[in-house]
Amino acid sequence: MRNKWIYGASVLCLILMLPFFNWIRVVNLVSLFSKIGVTKEMAGSLYTGYNLYNLLSFVQYANQGVLGLFAMVLLILAAAAIYFNAAYIIRGIFGIKKGKGELSLLAAGKCAFLFQFICAAATVVFVIFSNVKFRMTGFLPGIAVYLELVISLVSYIYIKFLEAKEREKYREHGLLVELKRNWVLFVMLIPTFVYFMINNYLPMLGVYFAFTSFNFRDGLWASPFTGFKNFEFLIKADLFRLTKNTVLYNVVFIGVGNVLQIIFAILVSRVTLKWFKKTSQTLMFMPYFVSFVILKVIVYNVFEYQYGLINNIVTSFGGERIDFYNNASYWPFLITFFYLWKNIGYGMVVYLATIMGIDNEIYEAARVDGANDLQQIWYITLPHIKPTFIILLLYALGSIMKGQFELFYQIIGNNGVLFNATDIFDTYVYRITMTQPLSIGLGTAAGLYQSLFGFFIIVIVNYVVKKKNPEYALF
Amino acid sequence: MKRKVLSVLLSMTMLAGAAVGCGSAGTQSAADQLEAEGVTQIPAAQEETKEETTQAPSESAAQEEAQGIDLSDQVDLVFYVMGDAPQDEEMVEGAINEKLLEKCNATIDMQFSTWTDFQQKYANEITAQSADLIYIANWLNYGQLASSGAFEELDDMLDSVAPDLKALVGDANLNMCRVGGKIYAIPNTWPEYVCNGVKYREDLRAKYNLPVPDSLENLEAYLLGIQENEPNQGLLTVTTEESQGLKTGFDAAWALNFKYPWVANNGLDYGLAANYDSPADVYDYWYSDDFVDDMKLMKKWADLGFWSKSALSDTNNSDAYKNGLCVAEVAGQNPNKQITAIADFENAGEGWESGYVAYGETNGIIYPGHATQNGTAIVRGCKNPERALLVLQTLLCDDEVNALMQYGIKGTHYDVADGIYKNIQEEAGETPTFPYEGFNTWNLRNGDTKLPQRTDVALQEMFDKYAVLGEKTKFPNVNIYDGFSENYDTYSAERSAVSNVMRQYLAPLEAGLVDDVDAAVEEFRSKMKEAGIDKCREEYTKQWQAYCEEYSYK
Amino acid sequence: MSKDMDYEPTVQKTIKKSTGTKVFEAIAYTLLVLGSIICVLPFIIIVSGSFTDNTTILVKGYSLLPRDFTFSAYQTIFRSPKDILQAYKMTFYYTIVGTGLGLMMITLTGYVISRKEFKHRNTVSFLIYFTSIFGGGMIPWYLMYANVLNLKGSTIPIWFPALMSPFLVILMRTFIVGAVPDAITESAKIDGAGHFTIFFRIVLPVLKPGLATVGLFLALGYWNDWYRSSMFSTNSSTWQLQFYLYDLLNATTAMKQMASNVSMKTAELPTESVKLAMAVVATGPVLLFYPFVQRFFVSGITVGAVKG
Repeated sequence: MRNKWIYGASVLCLILMLPFFNWIRVVNLVSLFSKIGVTKEMAGSLYTGYNLYNLLSFVQYANQGVLGLFAMVLLILAAAAIYFNAAYIIRGIFGIKKGKGELSLLAAGKCAFLFQFICAAATVVFVIFSNVKFRMTGFLPGIAVYLELVISLVSYIYIKFLEAKEREKYREHGLLVELKRNWVLFVMLIPTFVYFMINNYLPMLGVYFAFTSFNFRDGLWASPFTGFKNFEFLIKADLFRLTKNTVLYNVVFIGVGNVLQIIFAILVSRVTLKWFKKTSQTLMFMPYFVSFVILKVIVYNVFEYQYGLINNIVTSFGGERIDFYNNASYWPFLITFFYLWKNIGYGMVVYLATIMGIDNEIYEAARVDGANDLQQIWYITLPHIKPTFIILLLYALGSIMKGQFELFYQIIGNNGVLFNATDIFDTYVYRITMTQPLSIGLGTAAGLYQSLFGFFIIVIVNYVVKKKNPEYALF
Repeated sequence: MKRKVLSVLLSMTMLAGAAVGCGSAGTQSAADQLEAEGVTQIPAAQEETKEETTQAPSESAAQEEAQGIDLSDQVDLVFYVMGDAPQDEEMVEGAINEKLLEKCNATIDMQFSTWTDFQQKYANEITAQSADLIYIANWLNYGQLASSGAFEELDDMLDSVAPDLKALVGDANLNMCRVGGKIYAIPNTWPEYVCNGVKYREDLRAKYNLPVPDSLENLEAYLLGIQENEPNQGLLTVTTEESQGLKTGFDAAWALNFKYPWVANNGLDYGLAANYDSPADVYDYWYSDDFVDDMKLMKKWADLGFWSKSALSDTNNSDAYKNGLCVAEVAGQNPNKQITAIADFENAGEGWESGYVAYGETNGIIYPGHATQNGTAIVRGCKNPERALLVLQTLLCDDEVNALMQYGIKGTHYDVADGIYKNIQEEAGETPTFPYEGFNTWNLRNGDTKLPQRTDVALQEMFDKYAVLGEKTKFPNVNIYDGFSENYDTYSAERSAVSNVMRQYLAPLEAGLVDDVDAAVEEFRSKMKEAGIDKCREEYTKQWQAYCEEYSYK
Repeated sequence: MSKDMDYEPTVQKTIKKSTGTKVFEAIAYTLLVLGSIICVLPFIIIVSGSFTDNTTILVKGYSLLPRDFTFSAYQTIFRSPKDILQAYKMTFYYTIVGTGLGLMMITLTGYVISRKEFKHRNTVSFLIYFTSIFGGGMIPWYLMYANVLNLKGSTIPIWFPALMSPFLVILMRTFIVGAVPDAITESAKIDGAGHFTIFFRIVLPVLKPGLATVGLFLALGYWNDWYRSSMFSTNSSTWQLQFYLYDLLNATTAMKQMASNVSMKTAELPTESVKLAMAVVATGPVLLFYPFVQRFFVSGITVGAVKG
């Protein structure tokens, strides 16, 4: 720990990020305001200097949506820089190290200063960008930005230098060497990289729409920034009930679904008649192909009050008619049933494939040792399925707030009487967006809520799993 | 060690404070700064950037003669319309483009939304700005799209580029397409009536000598009469399908239109209402005693078994009337659907007959469809707006091109006999490769030259009847309501909440599925208050009254 | 390496079944028969409904055997055989191209992120998994293909977006980790085998159940999709089969609704029976193709083959 001064640099960086320091100064106030159409009244909520946290308020109150996305990126960069710096300092103070020597610590430091540098540099670019947009010099970077640039750059180079020494000591290699050694693996990833970039990461910029009020005149990226206005409807909604419903249904679906899939997969795998094996598996796969649109019609004809199949049977035995469609308490069970019905065959395939991947010699050995069927399942099959099960479970947890929209929407439809027990987040959002057909922000905001919810859960759960058994962790 | 690090941190903190504290001016309110500088007024913004792009070309064009616009470069335009492409799309397009090249040195490429997710794709198309000309309609949110800047302004261009078009459509029609004072769309010129009403089984009515269901009482008597005589016959197949907006939650409630001479079917949004004769006098419906009485009537009907107890989830309604499963339809009906029903019953050959009563015939309020029901706009970002408008003028005003567009190629696809359109392939029993209005261009209907179909004769009879009634209203044959578009930016959260309460509390009320109407009404009303109905109503009323003021509907 | 992966457990034939096994088998058979019946009943209703007259369905409801037997629903669907054959052709094309390429990419990625010596495997896994949680929504995604890449109307945006999915990548990783013990790859490496050699010679052969599963999911995804045709096709010659069918139905319902606003002729379509026939038409080929994949799920493999 000879190089403690480097922590000082990190702290300094953090301090400079504090809101007292203006990162962006507004100059030529009058001409800028007149240029971008800010009135005297609007000026009341504007300032002469901004830091990265309140920069979006300028975008909002000066009605300059053009700068919105950039300002948001700056905010995220700032958050990342703070996070990495804080993590670095804390690790430094408590001396948390992983692996060889100080390498992991130094890597954390590198990360911190790198983000710090990017953040400061991006601020400068932002200033240039907005000045070009407004065709005048309206903004200048604050002194803090220049300081940050210098400090982070110098510190980064210094850490690099330290790292090189440390590497030599432990014979560890850097990214370049890694690239050289495992270049084949990197090449294998290129198509994947291109795919996810095009299909997922670039369109992810659209998350920004959650904070804007879209109009065609200004276009997607220059529409007015409105802060959290799109999230208001979440507060208006009975968010607790919706979240509870969605999560509970999903927990049941995932839990019961996986257990049944495993049971049936094992049953199919144990059956000896080959044709029976094939047929039963095929038959159980078939519900997957029945679309919810068709299912809805069948369900209605079964559960209708007057002519429905069940009520016909009930009355023919002299019973009272059951009013399914006006009584919410039946539906959680019915919906769960239809979900399971539709997905057992499909989900079973994964487990079946896993079971088929088990070496038959193991079973043979067990049989020779006199293990009966249940023992074989318990001691051989289930342990082999476990990794798959855990991964599938973990994977599903990330989408715990994302409901089975089609299932609920088609079967329940607009029947408000049943909403208390059957309204999930997705169906609610769908009804809301129907009333505001042109609002891009609303749906995006709802999606963001679902994503954040799932993200926090998965990060926590994955952390716990990783602690217990890194083999089973998702990432 | 820890202590050492901490001491370093501390000293750094002090250093930073010293270094930057003196350099920074601190955060100051911009208003204060302006005050300090003595600025009292910020000079008005000169919107160079915006004006340059939109204003300049149309201004320069305005100086030229209409036919004087530069036609030297060939322009290929995309025309986005709804629905599916006809089989002979390319053939007809080719024929049209031949003419267009000659007249405007332009071609059009028709692109079709298909009916799957069409609302979403329509919005995408405008966002992506890949089309030039586009079909617009009030059911595709024309008003909101236009006020949000989705289309090019046409005011100046119409004078300079397309005076014939302007003359054909007429100022009255064009004015109805104004949003925020600007014209963004060219309507079609064929007047039609879409008066909602009740479709009922005339044969059964006559057989049991029941009254024509032209009022709530008669409708009840009609349904009761059939119930009595044919206990196994279904009466109404109603669900929530036609009632998705902010007016009603359940289809049967449409029947209440018999009772009220409102400016629009089912009243205004948010349970407000205004009479046609005094549209600016907005009054309350959901919190009135009338509403409670109406809900009691609905409950009575439900208890009488007019509709299924499971009606809120009913999935069978689509073809119910056609197949004789119900004896009346009250929601979302119009003269055109009546014509279809007549044809369906003829095909069924069971001796069924369909009758139709428009709500307006009873409550006295009848008006034609609004101009924005079928129109064409130029998408913002179109590179050649003048040429697009010129092409549109040709498509609508040039009889030859218009006929090609609407009916296909004469002799191949259609023929005219006694002034009536006749599809050649259909007559021969084949599937038509280019049916009537095969491009779905209802926006290019030219009222002067539109060829009637065989079924149009009966339709026209109905229209004529309504036109006479429409003349007698205070604003003769004016559709007031459909020209209004609400701007709910400031209360969208409340609006959403209100719509949700409607699904959850109003729909069961209107479906008569509650035990105690008074209590359920109370619950509905208090939930509405919680959802923020007052804010919605206040804003809505303001906008609506401003709209009435603008068009002097007083 | 063994060529035929069909492996019948021989022991059961030689050792006499114990009572416990018999009871177990009896229970297994019963449960499976029950499960199959529950699963297949609605499908029988659908098939019989597709052969029933539309009016009969509406008036009398669904039944297990067709009443008023008719082919009219199928006639409606196949009324322009050229179009539907084209749709079949395109769907086969999308399914084959998409599944082939996708399987390749997924397996490679799964292999890379299962390698212990790959330092960044957790980062890459995280970045892939992240896309399953966060997304920018449909509009930026649409604009990416339609405006940025300018691919609207071509066939690429119909198969490209479904090539991979985080779920399948992570599933594949699990299969690879489960099927290929580290020891084998390690020893291969010591023998001087490169990554490609290990991948093709050692990993792929034992991965058959995994490949079959992921391939099946991919293929089903392509087979069942209609959304991308709806978004990106500008011409019916590039339509997927499901979209061809789905749009037929949507056109009828939408036009019926539209008729409240616009004077227009609505198409005649026996909606209910067509809906059901559509399910049959779309499912049929899959049921024919399924047995080919199925052999990987009904008979085990033996890792011993690799060892030996």
